[in-house]
Amino acid sequence: MLRFMINRAGQSAILLLIVTLITFFLVNLAPGGPASTMRMEATEEERQAIVEKLGLDQPVHIRYVEWLKNALQGDLGTSFTSSEPVIQRIMERLPYTIELTIFTIVISVILGIFFGVISTVKRGKAGDHVINFVSVIGLSVPAFWLGLMLILLFSITFKWLPSSGVGPRGAEFELWGWISHLIMPVLILTTTVLPHIVRFTRSSMLEVTSQNYIRTARAKGAKESVVLYVHALRNALIPIITIIGMLIPRLLSGAVITEAIFGWTGIGTLIIDAARGRDYPLVMGITVMITIVVVFCNLIVDFLYSRVDPRVKNV
Amino acid sequence: MKSKKSKILSLFLLSFVLLFSGCNYGGDSSSTTSSGEGSEETTTGPRKGGKVTIPIVADPTFNPWHPNAYAESNVINRVIFSGLTQPGKDLLPAPDLAKEWSTSEDGLEWTFILRDDVKWHDGEKFTAEDVAFTFNEVALNKKLGANNSSYFQKLKEVQVVDDYTVKFILASPVAALPAYLSFNTEIIPKHIFEGQDPWELTSFNKQKPVGTGSFKIKSYTSGQTVVLERNDDYYGEKVYLDEVEYKVLADANTHVAQVLSGELSIFALDDLAAIDRIKNAEGVEVVARDTTRFFWIILNQQMEQFQDVKVRQAVLHAIDRQNIIDTVLKGYGTIADTGIAPALKEYYTDDVKRYEYDPEQAKKLLSEAGLKDTNGDGLLEKDGKTFTIDFKIGIQGDIEAVSQMVQQYLKAVGLDVKLNTMEWNAMIQDVVVKRNYEMSLNWWRYPSDPDLSAYMHSANVKGNNIPAYQNAELDKLLDAGAQESDVGKRKEIYVEAQKMMAEQLPYIFLWYPQEAQVRVKKLKGVPDLAFGDALHYINEWYIEE
Repeated sequence: MLRFMINRAGQSAILLLIVTLITFFLVNLAPGGPASTMRMEATEEERQAIVEKLGLDQPVHIRYVEWLKNALQGDLGTSFTSSEPVIQRIMERLPYTIELTIFTIVISVILGIFFGVISTVKRGKAGDHVINFVSVIGLSVPAFWLGLMLILLFSITFKWLPSSGVGPRGAEFELWGWISHLIMPVLILTTTVLPHIVRFTRSSMLEVTSQNYIRTARAKGAKESVVLYVHALRNALIPIITIIGMLIPRLLSGAVITEAIFGWTGIGTLIIDAARGRDYPLVMGITVMITIVVVFCNLIVDFLYSRVDPRVKNV
Repeated sequence: MKSKKSKILSLFLLSFVLLFSGCNYGGDSSSTTSSGEGSEETTTGPRKGGKVTIPIVADPTFNPWHPNAYAESNVINRVIFSGLTQPGKDLLPAPDLAKEWSTSEDGLEWTFILRDDVKWHDGEKFTAEDVAFTFNEVALNKKLGANNSSYFQKLKEVQVVDDYTVKFILASPVAALPAYLSFNTEIIPKHIFEGQDPWELTSFNKQKPVGTGSFKIKSYTSGQTVVLERNDDYYGEKVYLDEVEYKVLADANTHVAQVLSGELSIFALDDLAAIDRIKNAEGVEVVARDTTRFFWIILNQQMEQFQDVKVRQAVLHAIDRQNIIDTVLKGYGTIADTGIAPALKEYYTDDVKRYEYDPEQAKKLLSEAGLKDTNGDGLLEKDGKTFTIDFKIGIQGDIEAVSQMVQQYLKAVGLDVKLNTMEWNAMIQDVVVKRNYEMSLNWWRYPSDPDLSAYMHSANVKGNNIPAYQNAELDKLLDAGAQESDVGKRKEIYVEAQKMMAEQLPYIFLWYPQEAQVRVKKLKGVPDLAFGDALHYINEWYIEE
């Protein structure tokens, strides 16, 4: 186990290094820079002052080494656009994205496994076709379109739900205010996540239910629900966990479009601001955060494999 | 078994019904709070109370001089802070922190008498020291690269005469000084900034700004909202609104959706595609407002092939500008002949050379400039080579749609224009910073003053004279206008200048866009000005139930 952990940590460190290296050079070499995000009227002098102030007159490789040195000491630098520490800016936004992620994943897993199993049981029948059809639609409808349609319906026509924002927080927190703001973004994210889980559950369950031990279980007279949920589902879980392990980092790294449409101030909108404002330290900070999340989720998934299926040893 | 199932089903349905009735209730209550609190009496005319909600596209910086203070910051800063002057309702500079001003004979010294009844939001007294600090330590500090410092290139220093009198000492006369002092150049408090790096002071710039304006900061949540509350110690006219809320909403479609659902009160609509839907909506109105902006095409004047004025005139004859205004701009614009916009009523004239849409005339002018179609491919050649033009534009608002039409019009007269659509910052890098371009299309917005030296005077070829246009006669007129502070005499000079601009086309002037100002009907008291200028009068706004 210890050896496994050391191995994984080593791999992750190398991955992180490569990702930061590539990102650093890509953002720095992209056309435009902090000096060109100033107003069009800014004079040469004003632009030069900014370049010098931000230390951008240094060659890019020297700046990378400098950045890496600080990052290793836990200092991700200061945001160009707001002069606040990068870590602070990320931490401000992260809770909101975590909130969306938790709701989306919990709802999607519960419904996804439920519909996946139904789809298996009713294989080839109307129920299966309906679920399949809806899944494909969910996967293919673009989030920005669906989002705007929901706003049109629920915010403008019916005036039931607020069209954007995260609702009152802190002292003014109020349960309905919170939930009403969550409904539409979670709904949109669920339509993109749920079909994946349904489809993986279905194919995994189909494979498992054709195994001999399921036939044995049925033969010995076990109830169908016991066969499905106790014998089959547990063995079908591994691919499902894998896909969930891939979906969580995707959600945590910010559902950029959904967050932008609903004015949800999470990591997704922060990414847009960082890229638009050529805020190099912030872009780097978010990249590091996302990479760590991905690495960490993979680790958890590997760990869960052995819990779900004792035959899997940590190799 | 059966009954259990139906029980579950009915429970499920019940929870659904409850959920949605809940939605309805919650939605209603939130919409009444956003439309103003405490509105028992139903009197007409201005009354205290209520709030307005304004969209901004990104997090603001509460410091008008900060290099990151873009449009989203300007609309807040001009409410929190005050300048020495502000744009009057006729767009001529009007008093704000300065009660009156005068200039010396030679125009090198401007004396401003300040109000003595102004307090900063933290209770400190506002004095001449604050004005001197703002200019001497921030605007004129070359190392800082402050926003808008280019307006003050001729300013040597600001001297404190007494607590409420300051002198602006200039290297050469600047008649537009009072106008510049009304344009995003608000005064910041010396007692907070002294000894600090004005860009690093995040406790001020990003958290708790202290100004002198009609509203003061109440709360700010990054990425969400900025809430301002009425400043009861405001020195100016009575303030009616309780609060002004700015919502950070990056997506323009969301702005439209939210004004239709009553969550926003007022903004200037950039993308006119949704205009019909807004016009048809209940409780919302759209008004057209003149602005001090002009759209232009530029041909790089450092390249020999574009220096012939006939080429520029031909381009203008080749484009059906009225058609672009009617289709892309939905009618929100008037054809431009020069850079001085009709919004500047005191100076504008339309008695200048005009360019009708006339492709034949365009072809004739091009052929006079030596461009001929010798090989019969429909494209013009110069010295045996196809005359191609690289047309670089940035994606913003309707620039792309307009440029595509321009490309087609120019193709029709035989000009081979290659459209190169770029991300905005990349375009700035190429066109504005490196000057590596042949043709571009964009617009300028300028303070309410006709001095356009910054954009077309040969002294500013490295500055905002992006086409690098150089003309000694025009320079002379621009210099004379910049130094003459008598409005009547200035007008004569600028009428001459406009005639020359129209004739020579330092810029290929396209149109003066009008602002489509979207606002809810119950918002009253907004003066007939562009949104940005009307914000200076936010103390007069009120909500009518």
